[in-house]
Amino acid sequence: MAAIRPLIADQVSRSFGTTAAVNAASLTLNPGEITALIGHSGSGKTTFLRLLAGMERPDQGQILSGDTVLANANQHVPIEKRNIGLVFQDFALFPHMTAAENVMFGLRNVPKPERRQLAEQWLDRLGLAHRRDAYPHHLSGGEQQRTAIARALAPKPVAILLDEPFSGLDPLMRDRVREAALNAVREAGVPALLVTHDASEALVHADSIAVIDKGKILQTGTPDTLYNRPLSLEVAQALGPIHSIDAAALPDAWRTVIGVSADTLRYRPEAVQLGHGVPVTVRGSKLAGAITEVALSFGGDETVYAACQPGAPLHPGDQIEASINPSLVFDFTPKSS
Amino acid sequence: MPRWTPSLSAIPPSLIIGLVGLPVCIALYAGVVGGDGATWDHILQNRLVPYTLTTLSTLFVAAIIMLGLAVPAAWIVTQYEFPGRWIFGWALILPLAMPGYVMAYAWADLMGVAGPLQSQLRDVTGLTARQYWFPNLFTVPGLAFVLASTLFPYVYITARAAFSMQTRATLEAARSLGAGAFDLFWRVALPVALPAILGGLCLALMEAAADYGAADFLGVQTLGVGIVRSWNSFTDVNTAARLALMLVCIAFVFLIVARMYQGRSGVQQTSTRWQTPERSPLSPATAWLATLLCATIILICFVAPIARLVWLAVETKARTPDLIPLLQSTALLGLIGTGLAFGAALIFTLAAKRSRILRMATRLIAAAGYAAPGAVLGLGALFFLRETGQSLAGWVAIALLVWVYVSRFTSAGVEPMQATLDRLPKNLDLASQSLGSRGLRQFWRVDLPLILPGALAAALILFVEILKELPATLMLRPFGWDTLAVKAHAYATDERLAQATLPSLLIVLAGLLPVLLLSWRLNATERT
Repeated sequence: MAAIRPLIADQVSRSFGTTAAVNAASLTLNPGEITALIGHSGSGKTTFLRLLAGMERPDQGQILSGDTVLANANQHVPIEKRNIGLVFQDFALFPHMTAAENVMFGLRNVPKPERRQLAEQWLDRLGLAHRRDAYPHHLSGGEQQRTAIARALAPKPVAILLDEPFSGLDPLMRDRVREAALNAVREAGVPALLVTHDASEALVHADSIAVIDKGKILQTGTPDTLYNRPLSLEVAQALGPIHSIDAAALPDAWRTVIGVSADTLRYRPEAVQLGHGVPVTVRGSKLAGAITEVALSFGGDETVYAACQPGAPLHPGDQIEASINPSLVFDFTPKSS
Repeated sequence: MPRWTPSLSAIPPSLIIGLVGLPVCIALYAGVVGGDGATWDHILQNRLVPYTLTTLSTLFVAAIIMLGLAVPAAWIVTQYEFPGRWIFGWALILPLAMPGYVMAYAWADLMGVAGPLQSQLRDVTGLTARQYWFPNLFTVPGLAFVLASTLFPYVYITARAAFSMQTRATLEAARSLGAGAFDLFWRVALPVALPAILGGLCLALMEAAADYGAADFLGVQTLGVGIVRSWNSFTDVNTAARLALMLVCIAFVFLIVARMYQGRSGVQQTSTRWQTPERSPLSPATAWLATLLCATIILICFVAPIARLVWLAVETKARTPDLIPLLQSTALLGLIGTGLAFGAALIFTLAAKRSRILRMATRLIAAAGYAAPGAVLGLGALFFLRETGQSLAGWVAIALLVWVYVSRFTSAGVEPMQATLDRLPKNLDLASQSLGSRGLRQFWRVDLPLILPGALAAALILFVEILKELPATLMLRPFGWDTLAVKAHAYATDERLAQATLPSLLIVLAGLLPVLLLSWRLNATERT
């Protein structure tokens, strides 16, 4: 078996009319890694996936599998020749075929007797042994999506691209399906792209994350890097809640800790920690699942927000103390030299 | 919903249900019970079996031709971009405007020994007429070709809808798994669209089974022809009734199968994310091949026959005698028939809204009338006449004819009105009733304005259908009440084709109106 090679997008652009859907985007998908591509709708993430898959042709730049050119300005290997697995949000199973037949569809190069065996192995692996002969309309959403993953992986693709694969699923089963599906993808050892708009999905499950906005890839790195050291406000916003505050309104103690250099600062709400520190007044608090969001005031008009787990319920007007973790405070003002 | 209680408002719809359903019921009753005339064995061996076999083999060949024309055309129009695609998209529906009998006249002339095709062949090869074989239109395959070329748009419309409903994701998933264009069509798109295609095919076959004019002109002994001939010979009333029973059974089977498949066009996945409307481009050579295919279909099924009729009309300076009275009687019958069928359709539509039982009954009866061929309904009316002891003349005949029109076409009027109502919010009735609107007031203030767009379409469709109707009009019209269709058929079967061209062209021209309306509606729904 040939070594599994990375799938590379190199300065790829694609416009529709006058709008640049993807603009000089570069990204390397490494074998055995799940790379999440996150961005809000209209950011170009789906077009980028379609370019990698071969459903769209790039206007500029090239797409490579290792050192083999899949697409550039002059040549274009069509989707059916690329052997790249695709998984869609709405599953896109063939409605007239059973689960096993769906998985067998891409196994045309396998001798007939082995085809069924191979398909069944894949279904077993995804926990669908008992659903082999069911038609898609008899399968639950999660079962359909696992069948789709088996179908995409069975032909031993050179890469697998997943477009919002879990967002169509019931939240209760989403976690279980995601776990099983992504484990199978990871075991396959091929480059994998997970397109999603769900930041927590990307943070928890991906080995690396790329943030795309207006067709440009803004930053690529590990989940830790992108969450804790975003290079731009857009990246910071893409990965989690972020607030802004006028630096002048901060208490002196905090300004010293942060080492203020700009007028406006951005911070993640968990940067503000309740406990020892400067005195603050509670303006309000609301429970948001595991954490509580608390609005605090230093006495002026300015409000800071904290995400924390307070020991006791907080009420407006309560006097407490709070400190700041400077590593989660960001300064995105353009540096003037 | 409250339990249905008998009320005064249920009387008009019930009466009309009876009126619409009676002709087909009489014909069926006569067919089952029989009566005087030839013995059952004789009918079975000499009439029923041969007529039935001819009809079924015609339908079989027509089905193959329709699938061959409609499915590839629908596929390339939905899937690929090629020169003229937009025009072909709707132009492929145009053949529906041609009644089968007009298509038969035109192609009989085009393919005749003295016609342009054979003349060209002789000029090019230097052979004489006896030295070569040329396909004969006056055969079962010839009739099948004629019927298929006017009715294939039924299959085309459903196939196109089914193909464009499949999300691109399904097709793209297939391609990502290595399926080429051929596999994509045979292994994915076609199997998924098959139920819808079969549904459309059954409707087309039901219409084909109802044909009388083309088969009679081409001398093919189908059941429809058999019914009219047996009745005309007066000695063989019993045979006519048995043939009618068989024909209704065939038509009903197709209608039932069509309804079973309706709305079952595969799994309707509703992701919009991947529905990029772009069609795949083709290489220049393949693109022109696609254009050629569509252009050939339209040429054969629409342009060539019409051009031939126009040429005949101009070349022979053909005059149709008595054109003005002909137009008058056609318009008068059309207007009376449209008015009454429209009223029946309106009452059906509104009654169906009010009660579930009435809804089922109206659906059933309207469908029975729709599926029953004109020859069968004509026969039912004539049996009714015989029982009452009246003779077929004057206003009695006209009343009988209009009755058959209402029976046959009410469902054609219900369909567009029902479609309009189905798009409205369900609670509109409750809202208007909560505001104190009931009965007639509700009808004038709420129902009628809402139904109006569908009602206008319904009126147009009814008028044109009645205009095109041949067998029942032929059987029932009183002296001096020939319609365009009857006269065209009389001239054509008399081998005076030149005189038949003008009425034929007028029928096609009228037939184009509802077809253009349909094509406009289809385009509108596809764009949304």
